[in-house]
Amino acid sequence: MKRHVVAAMAVAGLVTSLPVSAQPAGDPVRTLVLLAQPQAALPQEYQAAELIAAAWRQLGLQVQIRPLPSQQFNQIVWYERQRWDTTTWQMVGRPERSDPDELTYNLFLSANIANGYNFVGYNNPEYDRLASAQREELDVAKRKQLMIQAQELVNRDQPYGFMVHPKNVVAFNKNVWDEKSIVDQAGIGARNTWTWLSIAPLGAQRDIILNSVSTPTNLNPFNISGAQGSWAAEITWDRLMRIGTDGLPQPWSAEAVTRPDPLTVDVKLRAGMKWSDGRPITIEDAVFSLVAPGIGDKSPMYKPFVANIANVQATGTDTLRITLKKPDAAFLVSSLAKLNLAPKHVWEPIFQSLQGKPETAESVMETTPVSSGPFRMVKAKLNEEIVLEANRDHWAAPKAARWIMRIQPNTEAALGALRSGEINFLADYNGDPQILRDIAKADPKIKIAEALDMGFKFIAYNHRRQPFNSTPFRQALSASIDRELLAEDAWGGAAVPSNSWVSPALTFWHDQGIEKRVPGGNVEAAKKILKDAGFVLVNGRLHYPAGVKETTAPFQ
Amino acid sequence: MSRSGFLRLVAERLGFLVLTVWITTTVTFLLFRLMPGDPTLAYLSPTFNEETRTALLRSFGLDKPLWEQYLIYMGNLLQGDLGTSFLQRVPVSQLLADALPNTIILTLVALSIAYAFGIVAGAFLAFQRGRGIEGFAIPAALATRSAPEFWLGMLLLAGLAFQLGWFPTGGAVPPGSNLGGVVDRLTSPEFWRHLFLPALTLVLYLQGLPLLLMRATMLEVMNDEFIVMARMKGLSRWSIVMRHAARNALLPVVTAFALGLGASVGGNVVVETVFAWPGVGRVLVQAVQGADYPVAQGAFILISVVLATMNTVADLLYAALDPRVSVGARR
Repeated sequence: MKRHVVAAMAVAGLVTSLPVSAQPAGDPVRTLVLLAQPQAALPQEYQAAELIAAAWRQLGLQVQIRPLPSQQFNQIVWYERQRWDTTTWQMVGRPERSDPDELTYNLFLSANIANGYNFVGYNNPEYDRLASAQREELDVAKRKQLMIQAQELVNRDQPYGFMVHPKNVVAFNKNVWDEKSIVDQAGIGARNTWTWLSIAPLGAQRDIILNSVSTPTNLNPFNISGAQGSWAAEITWDRLMRIGTDGLPQPWSAEAVTRPDPLTVDVKLRAGMKWSDGRPITIEDAVFSLVAPGIGDKSPMYKPFVANIANVQATGTDTLRITLKKPDAAFLVSSLAKLNLAPKHVWEPIFQSLQGKPETAESVMETTPVSSGPFRMVKAKLNEEIVLEANRDHWAAPKAARWIMRIQPNTEAALGALRSGEINFLADYNGDPQILRDIAKADPKIKIAEALDMGFKFIAYNHRRQPFNSTPFRQALSASIDRELLAEDAWGGAAVPSNSWVSPALTFWHDQGIEKRVPGGNVEAAKKILKDAGFVLVNGRLHYPAGVKETTAPFQ
Repeated sequence: MSRSGFLRLVAERLGFLVLTVWITTTVTFLLFRLMPGDPTLAYLSPTFNEETRTALLRSFGLDKPLWEQYLIYMGNLLQGDLGTSFLQRVPVSQLLADALPNTIILTLVALSIAYAFGIVAGAFLAFQRGRGIEGFAIPAALATRSAPEFWLGMLLLAGLAFQLGWFPTGGAVPPGSNLGGVVDRLTSPEFWRHLFLPALTLVLYLQGLPLLLMRATMLEVMNDEFIVMARMKGLSRWSIVMRHAARNALLPVVTAFALGLGASVGGNVVVETVFAWPGVGRVLVQAVQGADYPVAQGAFILISVVLATMNTVADLLYAALDPRVSVGARR
């Protein structure tokens, strides 16, 4: 190969002017296309993509950033899995992800390569074993060790180029709310159910008025209503358990939850609870709430959360027993803290009426929803505002009078509304955090609450396409990413470096210090990884190891 | 024009209206299904699997062949059923019924003020032809007409809402308000306070067209023989301008108003977004972004019906006001 290159260059009269590698080389690596959403849609991710592309170019790669509108972007990444090279992507934090099982099991398991969430195509039997073992291990200490091993394995294989864990930045009016009553939930931040329950007014204004950039969806106990809608749903409907501020599940509508063996969960219902129509919450209601999502396909979004339930049976007037199909360490978090309690007398007839029709329970609208949560819905004009009022009869009644979510798509106007007092809790802010910090500095009534999120931003490598199927190549790409720079520059300091899907916010499960242990860790080390793996720089352009042909069609 | 001729014209125009709406409906139906991505992409999550996707597609009716979807869609449409939003899971008719009154009020108020001001100012400027005020007023009208709506809106927000605090920063009613119905809102000072800034933005943006149109037509009319006759009769200049010239110059402005009304129903996307005004424009933006076919189709049909209707109205109005135009058209 080398002789051919030298001869060709000599013929071209270039042999004396261009450096030639001493190593034999394969074909040049094609131009790699890094997909991203447009800068206007996700400015931080786009800037990160630019910084990363610049780093990869230092390795001798030709890299193009290709911004695509979100629908097209999702379509290609999700449904055309053979087609793309690499892309920006993110996983957002949600309370049920306080247990790392959901992401651990779904992101990297080989069974999910074809059409599940393992869209990068990572395939490692050892990882499959660890992911399955942690799911079945009920001993928390042993499970933690399995989680650490899984994180180390992913660090070695670098299926993703992890970028950062973002911080949630929200702000509130401390003249209206007692700042000591704001609660920080691990991995979620200050905008959480516990804050809505405990936030204490300092004066006459007793309404929590918050903003939402997006329009929420229909709110009912069988519809997963998107990020903003779920803030309202979580405080309108009770659940048997809730994720505590420490990220661990704790009984809520259940008085006690026990696991006598790996396949059995016993629940004792809290006494004296009532629906908003005045009827008592019975054990039959609880059984129905756990069974209903699995009836036919009338609740497709919730169905996966009951897929592991073999049987639910009332064992007394206030107790029930759940039998699982297989052991599931995260069941309390992923199912009992996720499924809403729904009144059987309202929803059983609805489910019966839906049989044989294409409609699902998700699109059922109740004029006045019957619920049992600490707040009750009084108005849901989805394009305008959602208004909930405090349920004073609830055993954990909130201190605020109402919870009002205003739909405000203009972020600048939302900032103005916070300053003018029209809203008193800026709950949904995706702008530059520095702007918010400056506003808080100039306006003493505004207080910012920043907290590390359990979500993460990453570069996904498509393992189906060379050279991303090469572990050293992925290691080198990941090593060249300057995560400190991304956190400071692209995210304006509102993020921390990441090298795992388990955020440092989940202190118990996170592999401490893993963000510093990316193989290589800088551009020069990345070059060495590539060189050791046989990749060759020829005239500044990276070539495959000797004998390797470029057989992959470039992304069009 | 004879009465039967006019009725024939009405029937013809209504026929065109139905044809236009049917074509728009069909094109809209196909357009969204040809776009990359399907609505299930909005639900991607680690627990989202093929079974979930299949169930969602079935519930959306997207598991059927395209021709069958079309027939079902047209059948439902003829019965007044616009379907259920894929994203928000509520009936499209309800989403649009909630949004449409807000858009109509905003549009009517802004257009009426813009056209009233434009007509008077246009007539006045024609009257002041060649004087110093023209050098200021025409560039000012052109500048506000050319300024992007979002920029005008943000300037007004920054000055009158953020700095002075005279007006709210968004929405149609105060937080937690009980003003649900249209009548409640129209009789509430708070609603009008919320309406002020979005309406002012639209007025500034819209007034340029009637002003310049009125001025140009007036200048044309002022040279007509009947104006010379009026002068010879010794009528006052005010009487000549307002009673004789302006009435004859109004025709193109009336047409522009009707078309502007139709266009604005779907065209307030920017203003509604800047001011969080809960109208049809915002519903449409969200539907297009999320591939929410039923809502986008419903909104487009609504807009096309209004636009085509207003075109027809303008056509018929023109014929009624100026028989020469319709007679010419019939030939």
